Amino acid sequence: MGIDLVNLLIRLLLSPRVFAPVVFPGLLTALIVLLIIIWAERKIAARIQMRVGPLYVTRHFGGVLQMLADGTRYMFQEFIIPETADRIPFVLAPVLALVLAILPFAFIPSAPKFAPVTSPLSLPAVLAVLSAIPISVLLMGWSSNNKFSIQGAVREAFMSLAYEIPLFISALSMAILYGTMSLEEMVDKQPIPGFLLNPIAAFTFLVSMVMSAGKLPFDIVEGEQEIVAGPYVEYTGIIFGIGMGLAYLKLYALSLVYTIIFLSGWEPLPEVLYRFYPGVAGIFLFAKAFLLMLFVVFLRSVYGRYRLDQAIRIGWRIYFVLSVISLVFSVGVKVITCV
Amino acid sequence: MLSMSSDIVSSKLLFREGDESAYELFIGPQHPSSGHMRFIVRLRGDIIVSVDPDIGYVHRTMEKLAEGREAIKAIPLLERLTIIDSHNATVALVTALERLLDAEPPPRALYLRTLLSEINRIASHLYGMGIAGIMLNHSTMFMWAFGDREVWLQLAEELTGARLTHTYSIPGGVRRDLPQGFKERFEKAARYMEKRLEDYMKIFFRNPQVASRYEGVGVLRKSEAQKLGIVGPNLRASGVKYDARLADDYCAYSELEFEVPVREEGDCMARMLVRVEEIRQSLSIIRQVLDKMPSGPILAEKYLKLLPPKIREQATRSGHVKFPGVFATLKLPAGEAVARAEMGHGEIFYHVVSDGSAKPYRLRVVTPSFRNVVLFRYLPPGHRFMDFPAIYGSLDYFPPESDR
Repeated sequence: MGIDLVNLLIRLLLSPRVFAPVVFPGLLTALIVLLIIIWAERKIAARIQMRVGPLYVTRHFGGVLQMLADGTRYMFQEFIIPETADRIPFVLAPVLALVLAILPFAFIPSAPKFAPVTSPLSLPAVLAVLSAIPISVLLMGWSSNNKFSIQGAVREAFMSLAYEIPLFISALSMAILYGTMSLEEMVDKQPIPGFLLNPIAAFTFLVSMVMSAGKLPFDIVEGEQEIVAGPYVEYTGIIFGIGMGLAYLKLYALSLVYTIIFLSGWEPLPEVLYRFYPGVAGIFLFAKAFLLMLFVVFLRSVYGRYRLDQAIRIGWRIYFVLSVISLVFSVGVKVITCV
Repeated sequence: MLSMSSDIVSSKLLFREGDESAYELFIGPQHPSSGHMRFIVRLRGDIIVSVDPDIGYVHRTMEKLAEGREAIKAIPLLERLTIIDSHNATVALVTALERLLDAEPPPRALYLRTLLSEINRIASHLYGMGIAGIMLNHSTMFMWAFGDREVWLQLAEELTGARLTHTYSIPGGVRRDLPQGFKERFEKAARYMEKRLEDYMKIFFRNPQVASRYEGVGVLRKSEAQKLGIVGPNLRASGVKYDARLADDYCAYSELEFEVPVREEGDCMARMLVRVEEIRQSLSIIRQVLDKMPSGPILAEKYLKLLPPKIREQATRSGHVKFPGVFATLKLPAGEAVARAEMGHGEIFYHVVSDGSAKPYRLRVVTPSFRNVVLFRYLPPGHRFMDFPAIYGSLDYFPPESDR
């Protein structure tokens, strides 16, 4: 009886419905990625800027556990709810944002036939969930009832209008090219990596992704030099940590999607690992996504911040147009290959 | 003149007193990019309609404190005006005291003062550029400028014994002679700096993102700059060729050849590029100083002979002058004297009045940041809110200097 229960638990854990969203590439991996990518960002920037970067926590490993130490500190910090804040949305909005940032992992496959939720519409599902995050950020800023956080919330609203549309259209142009909206099938439909099939869409998606994740040069929502921390200005402790991690979770989810759409996902599939257990066969998917994230966080060392109106103008006048061109390009390619 | 300049300022404001439809933001004094002061920024939508620089947050009664102590002690006190540029901030005070005391410093001392002034100017400009960088959230520019500033602080330390509070110039001369091998070490630093300035151009000034934030933003026209009484690189970026190093005779500037960089655009980018060019000019000035440096004493004969013979001999041998005891009670002859000097931020002006005692009766100082603070009220209205840090950074404003 006991052995049956253990077997049942193991089978449950190893089923794609649990393993993919919870262990790899989902929640657990996402948290580790969160710790490592923030460390890597700081180390890369430090290297370029003639500094050392994080060092003192686990000195032999270059301070890699610094973020864990910071996170632990956040855990034990008092969580202050300001008198003037709207209590319920103030507490609920970060939770909602976190849930929405984790939810996409339910749709992202990590290996052939290893998707948590097999859906022919997994691509729009991921994008739809991610595009709901700005609403919760708006709620965070508004319920804080602070002048700086309201400014930040309004910026988030403006920015989401600027990047969501190019992001969607460039993703959908690839869906047209592949003839499917399922992330799993998209990988099979790439004889050569997708960014070679439609480079315009790849570029537009990349920039929209950077905008969406609020990384430099588009970290306008947080805008430290003007509005301190934007929507997160009144948050303390672990909830502030969530606000900080939110951008990275979003970046991770979008990097996985980018890898699947444009970088031929988990190909080349390691056969040995796949036969051993399909859940761990997605290491190339993970490696490509991680490298992409490293590139995005590297931009911090090169750029400053664009102005809000400039970013919106870039979004609408350049990347919206480019995404429409990529759509036309995809249709063109599709027509030619069909003939 | 005063009413004229206030007319110019109010002509730019888009906001009437008592208008409550504007969104009021208090930037500072506890704010990542306010510095030691508060700005009351009023917005309509994303457009700044008015900025009130609320000065005085770090007012330390410098002028009053200087009245209460012997004249010589005003030097280390007034260094604290602008700790990043402390020799330039006090060299004019020393010049004014010398004019009052009728003490002529020997030529070598003048050259040494010039040397430290230019080292200070480079360090000050690097500081300002770093702050301007982080105000655009460009952390690389910030770290690079602050890291490279260290090179110049170390050179200054070698020359004077202190990284920031040098107290190098004293009435009648300087405290220390040039250390051995300084020229080689400077040459190494200068070559490094020239290479780094190219790097700055690549990562920051020619970066399309930075250019889009700076070009055409915060434009100060020539006529406006003249009427508002702006000084320093901010003035020269608007096309006015005015530099206190040329206007007043102090240090050894009259014997050196250098250009005063001027730009016509008057925008944030021009203000930053004038500073870059000034660093290049400073390097050339220091080269000339080290080549032309005359030999001789570093303290005026008048004070040197007051020293006991043993110490006098030691001073000439080691090149270190201890503060002669006589300085502590130096009586300032009754009268007044003025002097000015060009700091990294602009022209600093001293007016020393003496009634014949050891303490100055009145010590008035007009600092460059104090004269430039009006730009906060004048430049930002009509710009986007996010232009505010860009303009602030480009002005190289230093609150403690303005507040005194």
